[in-house]
Amino acid sequence: MTFPAYLVAAVFLPLFPASMLFNRVFAMLGNTWLRMSLLLVWPQLGLLALAASGETPPDWLVYWAVLTACLYAFRALALRDLGLWTAHMATSAWALLWAVAMFSGDTTALALQAAAFSVPFVLLAWLASRIEAACGAAYAGTCGGLAQTLPRLSSMLVLTLLAAIGTPLFPAFFSLLATVTRALPVVPGIALLILLAWLLWAWAGARMTHGMVVGQASTEAGPDLGIAAALTPGILLVGLAVAGVTSLGYLV
Amino acid sequence: MVALVSPVFLLPLLAALLTQLAAPRLPRSSVRISITGAVVTFAVASVLLGLALTGQAPGEIRFGHDWGMLLVDPLASLMAFVVSGISLIVHVYSRRYMAEERGYARFFTLLDLMTAALLLMVTAGDLVTLLIAWHLIGVLLYFLLGHDSTSHTANRYAAWTLLTYRFGDLPLLLAAALLYQAFGTWSLHGIFEQLMAAPDTRTLFDLPLAEAVAGLIALSAFARSAQFLLHTWLPYSMSGPTPVSALMHAGIVNAGGFLINRFAPLFVGTDDVLHWIFIVGLVTAVIGSVLMLAQNDIKKALGYSTMGQMGFMIMECGVGAFSLAVYHLIAHGLFKGTLFLGAGGVISEARNDDGVPKDDLYTFVVERRPARRRQPWLLMAAITLVVPVVILVLAHWLVANDFFQKQGAVVLLFFGWVTGAQLIFSTYRMRTENIWRLMGLILFSFTIVVIGYTLISHAFDVFLYPDPVFRSSIYAAAGIDIFWFDTLVILMTLVVVLGWLVTYYAERNGRRRKGAMSSLWRSFYTLVAREFFVINLYARLSAFLLAVATRLNVLLRWS
Repeated sequence: MTFPAYLVAAVFLPLFPASMLFNRVFAMLGNTWLRMSLLLVWPQLGLLALAASGETPPDWLVYWAVLTACLYAFRALALRDLGLWTAHMATSAWALLWAVAMFSGDTTALALQAAAFSVPFVLLAWLASRIEAACGAAYAGTCGGLAQTLPRLSSMLVLTLLAAIGTPLFPAFFSLLATVTRALPVVPGIALLILLAWLLWAWAGARMTHGMVVGQASTEAGPDLGIAAALTPGILLVGLAVAGVTSLGYLV
Repeated sequence: MVALVSPVFLLPLLAALLTQLAAPRLPRSSVRISITGAVVTFAVASVLLGLALTGQAPGEIRFGHDWGMLLVDPLASLMAFVVSGISLIVHVYSRRYMAEERGYARFFTLLDLMTAALLLMVTAGDLVTLLIAWHLIGVLLYFLLGHDSTSHTANRYAAWTLLTYRFGDLPLLLAAALLYQAFGTWSLHGIFEQLMAAPDTRTLFDLPLAEAVAGLIALSAFARSAQFLLHTWLPYSMSGPTPVSALMHAGIVNAGGFLINRFAPLFVGTDDVLHWIFIVGLVTAVIGSVLMLAQNDIKKALGYSTMGQMGFMIMECGVGAFSLAVYHLIAHGLFKGTLFLGAGGVISEARNDDGVPKDDLYTFVVERRPARRRQPWLLMAAITLVVPVVILVLAHWLVANDFFQKQGAVVLLFFGWVTGAQLIFSTYRMRTENIWRLMGLILFSFTIVVIGYTLISHAFDVFLYPDPVFRSSIYAAAGIDIFWFDTLVILMTLVVVLGWLVTYYAERNGRRRKGAMSSLWRSFYTLVAREFFVINLYARLSAFLLAVATRLNVLLRWS
C-alpha cells in the first residue's frame, strides 16, 4: 500500500515531475471558482494519500520534495502572469508539506496547515480574476501601477502576497519555523533547503509586487474593489494571522 | 516598571490603526493621531528609562505560554527611549515634509507600524517575538522605502533591501532553532540561564553551541548593519523619502549592534567569534570610509559614511566594548538623523548663499593652500604623536585604573590616538596667523570630546552591564594572545606612522607621482569609484539567475 499511496501523494503534494500535472490542470481551467476550489482541495487529497501510506515519509523523498519546492520557487522568479505565479508558488508551498508531515503525526494539524498554506493562493486566484476584469490581463509590467488606479485591490494583493511568501504573522511563517526547528538537528540539509525556498519566495514576491503595483497609472483600468468586496479577503487575512499566532504552541 | 512595557509597544500599533481608520474621512488631520501616539509612546518610554536609571529590577511580561514575552531591562529601556525619540522627531518632521505626497496618511501608518516593530524588537523577551519583529522590520522598511509607488528605482532598491534583510533573517532563525533544540525554551532569560549552567553544550556536527549560534547571530547582525558584501542596499536605498532615510540611518541600520548586545551572555562563552566580528567590522569601516571619499553623489557618500560607522560599531563589539557600541549607535543615530533631516534646509539656504566662510579652514581644505610658515617638524611630530596619547590615557584613567588590562580598551585607545594625531597633523599645515592658538583650541575640543566620550561610555557600561565580573568576561572573550596583540599594535602603529611620513613627503614634493605609481593609483581609484564592482557582480548574478529561471520555464512549458 505504501508505494501506490506515495505515488498518489506525489501528484497531489506535488513532487517534480508529477507536479507538472497540477500546473497543467490549473492553466487549463478558465473558471475562477474552479481554480480556487482546486487550490483548496488538491493538497488535502495528497495528505489523505500520505495518511493512507501509514508511514513517515523517508528522508530521500522529503529531500526530493524540498528540492521541488526550491525549483518552483526559483521558476516563479521569472513569471509575470499572476495566475501562473500562483500555481507555481502553491506547488512550492505544498511540496514543503512532505517535510511538515515528516515531523508531525497529527493528521488534523497537518490538514489545517495545508489549508493555511492554500488560503493565500485561493485569494490570489480571485484577485487575479479581478485584475483581469479591470485591466484585461493580470500580467506584471503590462498592467503595472495598480497602486495608483486600483488602491484597494492593490492593497489586498500586497497583503495576500505577504501571506503567500510566509511573512509573520501568517501561518506559513510559524509552520516553517516549527518544521525548521524540528528538522535542523535530524536532517539539517532539509532545514537549509526549506530556508532557501523561503528566501526565493521573498524574491519572487517582491518581483511580482513590483510588476503589479509600481509604476505610472494606467488610464484604461476598470473599477476598483468595493468596500464590501475588499473586506472579505481582509477579514480572511486577519483570521489567518490570528490562526498563525495561536498555532505555534501546537506546532513545536 | 513591567506594566509600562506593553503600552510602549501597543501605543504605536493603536495609533497606526486609528490613523488608517480615520484617513478616508480626515486625510490630512488623521496624522495628528499618529503624532499624538508618538508623543505618548515617547513619554512612556522616558518613564521606563527613568525607572531603569533609578535601579528598578529587570522583569518580563508574558502573553503566551512560552513565547510572546516582553522584557524590561536596562538595554531594552534605553533602546525603547532612543527608538521612540527618533520616531517622534521623524513624525513631527514628516507632518509638513510629506504633506504634498500621495498616500500621506498611509505613510504615517507605516511609520507607526515600523515604530511598533522596532519597539517589539528591543523589548522582545523570547526568540519567536524577536524573530517576528526582526522579519517585520524588513518588510515594513520595504514599504516605507517604496512609498512612492510610481518610482521604479525606489521600489527596485527597496526590494533589494528586503532581499538582503531576508537573507539576514535566516541565520537568526537557524540560531533560534538550535537554541530551542538545545534548551527546550524560546525564552531568552531561560536560554541564557541554562547556557551559563552548561557552557560546553554541543550542537549540530558536535560544534560548540555558543560558538555556532553566536556565528549565526553575527551573520544576521552583519546583514542588518550593512557589513561589507551585505552593504549594497544601504547606499542605493536613498530614493525613498528623506524621513525614511533618517529613520533608517538613525535607527534601523543600528539593529546589528543591538542584537549582539542582546545576546551578550552567549558571546561571553565564545572563543573566536568576536575576533571575526572585529575583522568584519574593521574591513567594513575601512572600505566604507574609502568608498565615501570617492563618491561624487552626496547621498551615496552619506550611505557609505553610515556603512563606515556601522563597521566601527561592529568592530567595537568585536573588541568586547559592547556598551560602547550602544553609545556609538545612539550618537551616530542622532548625528546622521540630523544630517538627513537638515539636508533640505541646507540645500534651500545654499541656493541663496553658499555660506562657506573664506577663512583658514576653507582655504586649507578646499583650496589646498599650505601654510606659508611652518613650525619645526620635530616639535610638531612630537606633539602629534604624544598629546593625543596623554589625553586618551588620562581620560581612561579617570574612569578605570585597570583599563590597560583590557585589550579592547587598548584597541579603542589606538583608534582614538590615530584620529587625534591625524587631526593635529592636518592642523599643522593650515594657514593661520597664530598656529598655537588654533592648535590650543583644537586640543581643547579634542580633550572635551575624549573625556565626554570616555565618561559617557563608562556610564553606559555600568548601566547596561552592572555586574563587573560579566563586564570583564566580555573583554576576556574578545582577547587574544598577548604576544600577537602587542605585535599587531606595533605593526599597525608603524603602518600608520609610515603613512603619515609618505603623506608628508608627498605634500612637500608637490604631490609628484611618476610612471607605475601613477598608473597604480589610477587603477585603485577606478576600483574604488566603481565600488569594487560589488554592485555589478550582484546585478550580473541576479540577471543570470533570472535567465536560467526563464530558460527552465520555457523548457518545462510553464508547468
